[in-house]
Order: sequence, then C-alpha cells, then structure tokens
Amino acid sequence: MAMIIAGRAMGLASMLIVAASILLYMRRSLAGKLPNLRRLPAVDVIDEILGRCVEMGRPAWYLMDNTDMTTPSVLAPTVAAFQILSYTARRAARLGAKFFVPVTQGLAYTIASEIVEEAYKAEDKAEDYDPLETVKYLTDGADRMYILNHMWSERIGGAFFLGSWYHKAVIFTENAARVGAVSLGGTDTTHNIPFLVAVCDYSIIGEELYALGAYVSQDPIQSSSIAGQDVGKYLAILLILIGSVLLTLEIDITTIFKI
Amino acid sequence: MIWVSERLYKAQIPIFLQAIFILLMLVEFFFTVPKSIIDLNVTLRSFVPIVSAAAIMLGVVLLTISHIKKISSRGEGWYYSIIYLASLIITASFGLISVRDFTFRWIYNNMTAPIGVALYSLTAFYITSAAYRVFRARNFDATVLLVCAFIVLMMLIPVGAAILPPVVPVGEWLRSFPSSAGFRGMIIGTSLGIIGLGVRILVGRQREHLGIREEGRG
Repeated sequence: MAMIIAGRAMGLASMLIVAASILLYMRRSLAGKLPNLRRLPAVDVIDEILGRCVEMGRPAWYLMDNTDMTTPSVLAPTVAAFQILSYTARRAARLGAKFFVPVTQGLAYTIASEIVEEAYKAEDKAEDYDPLETVKYLTDGADRMYILNHMWSERIGGAFFLGSWYHKAVIFTENAARVGAVSLGGTDTTHNIPFLVAVCDYSIIGEELYALGAYVSQDPIQSSSIAGQDVGKYLAILLILIGSVLLTLEIDITTIFKI
Repeated sequence: MIWVSERLYKAQIPIFLQAIFILLMLVEFFFTVPKSIIDLNVTLRSFVPIVSAAAIMLGVVLLTISHIKKISSRGEGWYYSIIYLASLIITASFGLISVRDFTFRWIYNNMTAPIGVALYSLTAFYITSAAYRVFRARNFDATVLLVCAFIVLMMLIPVGAAILPPVVPVGEWLRSFPSSAGFRGMIIGTSLGIIGLGVRILVGRQREHLGIREEGRG
C-alpha cells in the first residue's frame, strides 16, 4: 500500500521545501541574522488613513466581507486579515481614531471582538472600546444595506477592505470612494483583485495580504518567514521553465514518474 | 500565578491544540492513514459548525442588546431597531417551530431572498461607475488597461464582433495568455503566502487570531 496518496507527492514535496525554507529563515532570525525585506507601502498607508480620520473627526472602518471560517479558501485570508486588524486596531486606539469593525459571521465576530478588545487594552484605551458598537455582528445579507447607509450617514474618513472579498468588493469600495474615504484594499480572491485595485486608493495584491500581516506583527521572526517564501518562488520559476521545455519537447514526465 | 494560568489557557493550550489539529489534517490529506484518524478528523471538523452556531448566538444577543439600547435612548433611526426586533422575534419563532415550516420558508423565499438579490443587482451599476472612474487614459499603464478592456468588452457583447471582427481573436488572446499568466502568478504567490501563514501558525509565532498580542509589539 502506497504511503502517499496518488497524485499528491509533488504537492507534498513542494510544500515541505517551502515550509523548510521558511523555518530556516525563522531560525536564522532567532540567531540575529535578519533578511533584508522591502518595506510594504501599505504599512505607512494604515497610519496615513487612521491619521486622516483623526484629523477629520470621521470614523475608520475595517471590513472583511466573507469571513466564513468553515470554508478553507476563506479561512486563510480571514486569518491574515485578523493579523492586520490587530495592528490597525492598536494604531487606531493609540491615535484616538473612531474604529468600527462590522462582521457577518459568528465565529469571526467573536475572534474580531477579542482582537480589537485586546488591542485597546494593550494601548491602555480599554474605556474607548465599546463591546456593542466597536465590533458589530451584522447578519449576512442585511449587512449590505447597513454598511451602505452608515457609510453615508457617518461620512467615514477611511476604510480598510482586507480579507476574502467577493461581489461586495465593488459595492462597498465604490461607495467609500464616493463618500470621500481613503481606502486600502487587499484580497487573494483573484476575480475581485481588479475591483479593489481599481477603486481603492491603495491596494495590496494576493500574497501581499499575508506578507503585510507578518510585516506589521513587528516580530522579526514572523517577518523573516516572508524571505523563506521567496525560495518557493524560485522553485516555481524553475518548475515553469522545466515544464515549458518538456512540453515543447513533448515529453510527458507523469508517464515516467508516477507522481 | 493568575497571569501564568491565564497565559496557559489563553495562549499555550490553543497553540498546542491548533498545531496538533493542523498536523492531523495534513497527514490525512497527503498520506494513507488508518480509518481511526479519518474518523477523528471528521469528528473534529463537525465541531466547526457547532462552535460557529454558538458564536452566532453571541453575535445576535449583542446586536439585540445594541438595538434595545438604541430604542430606549431614542437614538438616531431608533424606529428601525423596532423593525429589527419584530423581524427577529417573528422569524426566530417560526424557525424554532420548524425550519421546514411553510411560513418560515415563505419569509425566506419572499422577503429575505428578493432583498438579497435586489442588493446583489446593485453590483452591475457600481461596476459601471467604477469602470468610468478607472478607464481614463491618464498615463501609459492606464491607456493599456483602457485599450485591453475595450477589446475584451467588444468581444463579449454580441454586436462587437459584427462591428469590429478582429476583436474576437485579439480578445481571446488577451484572456488566454497575458491575463491567465498574470492570474496564475498571483495564485502561486497566494499559495506560498498561505503556506507561510500555515507554518507561522503551526509553530505558534502567529497568534493574533487567538486574540493574543505579545507585549512590546506594535
């Protein structure tokens, strides 16, 4: 009986190589050898948006759209968005920005509440955190009208659209732009990236969502893991080149190696 | 001592448990494992909707308290809160009797679903206005985007091919090669990002989603 399920050996090998390189970079950072990382412009944008909101006396909103954590494809961007939420909420508390996080899924709601509450406590601003209003549970479906209506009535000054975004991406971002809010958008759902890039003032694309989370953690060990991911990119480039050559020569490698 | 015990239940136990669960799921996905492990994973996955349902209850309770407060303080738009409360009581009552009950299904099929569809249809209008905002030849990149979008739009509309026949092969080429190549690159990058996220969670370095933030960070 084969140990590895047929057709998954290549995936396992690739994942192990990437995971090992990430762990290697994290281990190196423990020894003080930090990799050079390009500073993501989005890090400064977070402060810029929150600062603008404080100056204008308008609220900043943090929206995550689909946060159904029972769906694997939604789970990863949602967890990444939570990490950025932790940083953003803390910065909002520090700067004194009115912060609002609407969430449409129960599990994500409890996690988001916990994250934002901890962030306010960490900044000694626990009194600014309102358990009923700062993070709010909105039933899925009804959230669209609530958010559109309140975007206009509260004249939001800034908005973050991070996580797993679907059709609401264009509705919310377009309204935020019309109301005059500066926005940062980022998702890994490929079919909605164009909308966020087109409408938001600043955007992060695909893996930058995950990189930003690690970057803003202020933890050098987490940040170092981003450098480890680059090994995976080199591997992908190499495999694409090999695949192109083999395809041109009409060699089917799967008939030689049963992978 | 209290701090140690709080850290234990709030940080160390969840991190330890999530590492075990991640390894169990990975092993099941890649390797042929005994049926006992598959059964264990099925049981673990069945906990997710249960925990999620409990969390929804918390959200609904807090939302209801928020609306009750709004009514009692006569806050702005307080009368909408009455509609929320009435809707909640009526729908929940019928739902508790039976989710297959005719009235409950009628409420969903004739009120909830049409409102959702109507709101969904707004997307078309917002896409149009977003396109108007974006498709301006401000610089070289924007001009390339504008030209490509025009070709693909002309290809997709029925009359487009009749007016400009070359848009069909050019549009197909744009969708099949430059567009697909870009998207696949994005998917590879995203997959690597997810592996990185998984590794950070597995070794317990990323813990913000557990509501834990180490002092000194940020």
